[in-house]
Amino acid sequence: MVGLVGPNGAGKTTLLNLAVGMLAPTTGTIEVLGGRPAGPAQLAKVGYLAQQAPVYGGLSVADHLTLGAHLNRSWDGELARRRIERLALDPGQKAGTLSGGQRVQLALTVAVAKRPELLILDEPVASLDPLARREFLQDLMDAVAEQELSVVLSSHLTSDLERVCDFLIVLVGSRVRLAGSVDGLLETHHRLTGARRDPSTLPADQEVISASHTDVQTTLLVRTHRPVLDPSWTVSEVDLEDLVITYMRAAAGGGPQAVVHK
Amino acid sequence: MIWLTWRQFHTRAVIAMAALIAFAVLMGITGTLLVSQFGGGSIATCQPPSDCTAAADDFLQKLMGSSALADSSVTGTGTYWLLFLLGIFTVLIVPALLGMFWGAPLIAGELEAGTHYLVWNQSITRSRWLAVKLTLIGLTAMAFTESLSLIWAWWATPISQAVASGAVATPLAMNQFSPLVFATHGITPLGYAAFAFALGITAGVLVRRAVPAMALTLAVFAVLQIAVPLWVRPGLFPADHSVSALSSFVALDVPIESGTFTVIPSGWDGHYEDWILSTRAVDAAGNPVSLLPQDCLQGQQTGKASHLPLLDCLASHGVRVALTYQPSSRYWAFQGTEAAIYIVLALTLAGFCFWRLNRRLT
Repeated sequence: MVGLVGPNGAGKTTLLNLAVGMLAPTTGTIEVLGGRPAGPAQLAKVGYLAQQAPVYGGLSVADHLTLGAHLNRSWDGELARRRIERLALDPGQKAGTLSGGQRVQLALTVAVAKRPELLILDEPVASLDPLARREFLQDLMDAVAEQELSVVLSSHLTSDLERVCDFLIVLVGSRVRLAGSVDGLLETHHRLTGARRDPSTLPADQEVISASHTDVQTTLLVRTHRPVLDPSWTVSEVDLEDLVITYMRAAAGGGPQAVVHK
Repeated sequence: MIWLTWRQFHTRAVIAMAALIAFAVLMGITGTLLVSQFGGGSIATCQPPSDCTAAADDFLQKLMGSSALADSSVTGTGTYWLLFLLGIFTVLIVPALLGMFWGAPLIAGELEAGTHYLVWNQSITRSRWLAVKLTLIGLTAMAFTESLSLIWAWWATPISQAVASGAVATPLAMNQFSPLVFATHGITPLGYAAFAFALGITAGVLVRRAVPAMALTLAVFAVLQIAVPLWVRPGLFPADHSVSALSSFVALDVPIESGTFTVIPSGWDGHYEDWILSTRAVDAAGNPVSLLPQDCLQGQQTGKASHLPLLDCLASHGVRVALTYQPSSRYWAFQGTEAAIYIVLALTLAGFCFWRLNRRLT
């Protein structure tokens, strides 16, 4: 499960639209699951839940499942029916009268029941309250475990992603600023606090991501693959949210760093 | 895809069906009455070679509810005239309505609601999605319009017959080539329906919002419906020319102004169903003439008071009428050509929509 995080206007939606073929790249090419997007074979392999989770307001919940069944060869009607039942959606209800959370769930059901190999979700929880948000993500994780899906999920909130994602990509100003497994990122980043000193005096293997100074104290966020041994530093862990925000701020400040951890 | 198309379209299809039935019932009942009216008039028994123009005019005047002819038994109330206008109006406006309400929202509505993200990410391509919608709804639009046109043409058959027999005196006496009749009969409505529908879709793709796309559809379609009869249709085939004696017309209006005259003929003997493009008075040598000969001016202060002596006088000076016209034998060539033009335009627009849909996608 891959989380795509970035501030508003970072290009998350554009990237995801490119991946599903809703947009064509003006230059360059994009490959998803080994194929160009938008071909008939590719459409069957990739499921997409767009921002705002659009559904047909005039069609009922059951109509949406019929739509999925008619438009997808790989449609799993049983799965769709079970999900609707479990979510307690009324099949006869018009989709236009569903709550925001129910609408997203319906759209997710259509996307999941077509049995894609890759499911792409664009800010699926943005319009949900915190409880519905948590339930949605839990439900998504269940579906992923059950069906062995790969998922790309975008959000501008790291907190949504850290609970569910194994891999994280930070996108700012339409560039990838950071990409790596969540565990790997947390292991290699440290917060150092100590007496004020010039960051350039650090060992070469410690890359400074951000530095802040008071009169007497220096706080650094560094990335290193080795343990920090200098006893003059107090070393503390960073959480994912701080890490992401630091990278976003560095990028906003013009730091041309694109860091990709494999 | 057929299921989805039908599911999204069936309300509009039901409305259209109801409208078609209502139109058929109205025209069916009044049309039957019109046929019996025709059967009861002198026009029904008038056979060439005898001159039927008076009988034909009498029939149409009764329908108009006027009594210009002294010997006509006036029973009409003008209802048929209103129904005639209603029929023309319906068949003319329906393609525009279909373009606006079936065509324009077809893609623009999806773009506005964002549902194109849902439907274009199922396992069928956009092209297939559009092809099914375009074919099913487009053919329905054409069939619907043509049905209306056929009902209307059947209703107006007695009137067409009266015009073919030389009726000229009422507004009802519209020749088969007159713009309102030509555009509502035959196969041109098929072309208009196909074109207006494709135009609506194209406007929706370009403007991306349903209501402005509807307005654009109506505007473009209306401009074409005015421009084509005025400037395109007359030139589709080279016109024929002829010179005819003044006596070969059912009616001639000769307005006189400060010593000059013009000739406005109507009802050309034996050519009642031809399309007269232009007429002018010419002298014996075939040159245009407008100066009123001196001796014809005698006692002609108003030009109306003694019409026949004036015409005889002009004829004695060798004045005749030169016409450019399209013979009625070309009627179906005109119908076919115009329908084909509109269908080719419709296909071109549809092709553009496919191209655009696969290039600029969101």
